[in-house]
Amino acid sequence: MINIILFRMEFRRNVRSMVLWSVTICALIFFTMSLFRSVLQYQQQIMGMVKIVPMAAMKARGFGNITDIFSGLGFYAANNIVYMMLLGSIYSMVLSSNILLKEEYLKTAEYLMSRPISRDEIFASKLAVALLNIATLNLVAGITGFISLIVFRSGDIVIHPFLIITLYTFLLNLFFGALGVIVAVMIRRPRPVTFFCVGLILVFYFIFTISRISGVSGEFGYVSPFKWVNMDVLKSDFSFEFWRIALFLGLALLLSGLSLMIYRKKDILT
Amino acid sequence: MASNIIEISHLSKYYGHSRGIEDVSLDVGQGEFFGFIGPNGAGKSTTIRILLNLIFPSSGSARIFGLDVLRDSKKIRGRLGYVPSDANLYDKMKVHEFLSFGAAFYGGNKSEDRIRELAGILDLNLERRITELSTGNKKKVNIIQALVHKPELLILDEPTSGLDPLIQSKLFGLLTEENKRGTTVFFSSHILSDVQALCRRVAIVKEGRIVKSDEIAVLREKQLKKVRILFADEGTSGNFHIPGMASILSVSPKTLEFMFSGDINELTGHLSGLRLENLSIEEPPLEEIFLHYYQ
Repeated sequence: MINIILFRMEFRRNVRSMVLWSVTICALIFFTMSLFRSVLQYQQQIMGMVKIVPMAAMKARGFGNITDIFSGLGFYAANNIVYMMLLGSIYSMVLSSNILLKEEYLKTAEYLMSRPISRDEIFASKLAVALLNIATLNLVAGITGFISLIVFRSGDIVIHPFLIITLYTFLLNLFFGALGVIVAVMIRRPRPVTFFCVGLILVFYFIFTISRISGVSGEFGYVSPFKWVNMDVLKSDFSFEFWRIALFLGLALLLSGLSLMIYRKKDILT
Repeated sequence: MASNIIEISHLSKYYGHSRGIEDVSLDVGQGEFFGFIGPNGAGKSTTIRILLNLIFPSSGSARIFGLDVLRDSKKIRGRLGYVPSDANLYDKMKVHEFLSFGAAFYGGNKSEDRIRELAGILDLNLERRITELSTGNKKKVNIIQALVHKPELLILDEPTSGLDPLIQSKLFGLLTEENKRGTTVFFSSHILSDVQALCRRVAIVKEGRIVKSDEIAVLREKQLKKVRILFADEGTSGNFHIPGMASILSVSPKTLEFMFSGDINELTGHLSGLRLENLSIEEPPLEEIFLHYYQ
């Protein structure tokens, strides 16, 4: 199903942006985690400051409780929301939508599709590159996060919650990747969709943030895929929840399958 | 008659409410050099894009090598070469890298020699980046990528646009050689002199429909004549009329030039009662046949 010639070319085409995104996100993670020791050092003063900061603002920043900020994992998880869940999702959706669509708006589709390669092979090869890049970004960011936790830790590291939040982050990125693909195949007049993808993710993130601030845990917040991730890493019952994994994977597969069906019948207008 | 390589039957394509092509039917035989002519927007590229399965027909069917263009498009594309009219290439690649990438889809390991041979004929530098190339040189790259795997069928959409006369002449030589080796050529263009120089048979497309399809020689010899009459008396030309008189090309008080598709004996019989200074009956160039169908 995957055409190795196209896969190799597409990988080379995208590796530079993947490296750039990975380096940027990893640097942000490492730099932010390097502040953790200072946070511990000035615990009293920060507690004083934090008391006058509305709890809503803390929640908006990703902290479930005031004391989360003084836990290495809590500190990491709050930053992970911004760096990997938000930025990683933007990368995933922009990559996966443009990887298909750029052949059309850059007018190279006519060349590619006159080769002996089926639409299924084009779709599978390009998606495989997107999946590999998203997985690589998550792996590199996860390793960086883990190393930064070890380097800047204040006590023992509990690996289990770290692995769970890393997996959820990857699944969230994967979902947005699949969303990007369906956006790409549904566009009739080809044009770059970067701004649309970034805008859509920011809207979802805004809904998620509002739902955290207002304490609304019900239906409204669940409009946003960010809400589908359990971020309470410091809770004792934090564990793998099958329904969340099934939800993300199921939707990603469903969107990818639907996208393939649409792509098979799509007029390639260049 | 050799077996057909392309068979198009009642093919139509609509983009929403706007017309792409309507009820197009034509056959192209094995080894033919077939011209597909019409002005921009007539439906030539739409027809070709359906043949390549880039777009889907609204109705009708098309077969290449006896295979359905929708079901067997991958198999078909493995045996044809296509020169698009204005498609872009992967700009960041070098010419050689791009051509090797394209050739790799067809398998085999003889592409290197063939790339160098074709680049030599068309005078193309393989070491330059595609983004640095002029429109004409990009067109050369497009021509080479279509020929590199020695296809059984070549589909060319406006292949001469952007090429200087010298390279055009080399391209025509290359296409003629390929055709002699048995490659069927489907040559789409609005430049009639190109079609006339190369093709034996043509189809004329007008507003999405095929208005005429025949051998150029037949169109010129049997069906249409260009008649030029110089009358002895002024004013005769304005009143002259005969069945079969098609489009009038020029008229003045003493001269009349028109395309004639009727019986030549009837014409001479009609003229015998008139005083003439001169009369010429010629086979018209393709351009005038084309204009006749467009008026």
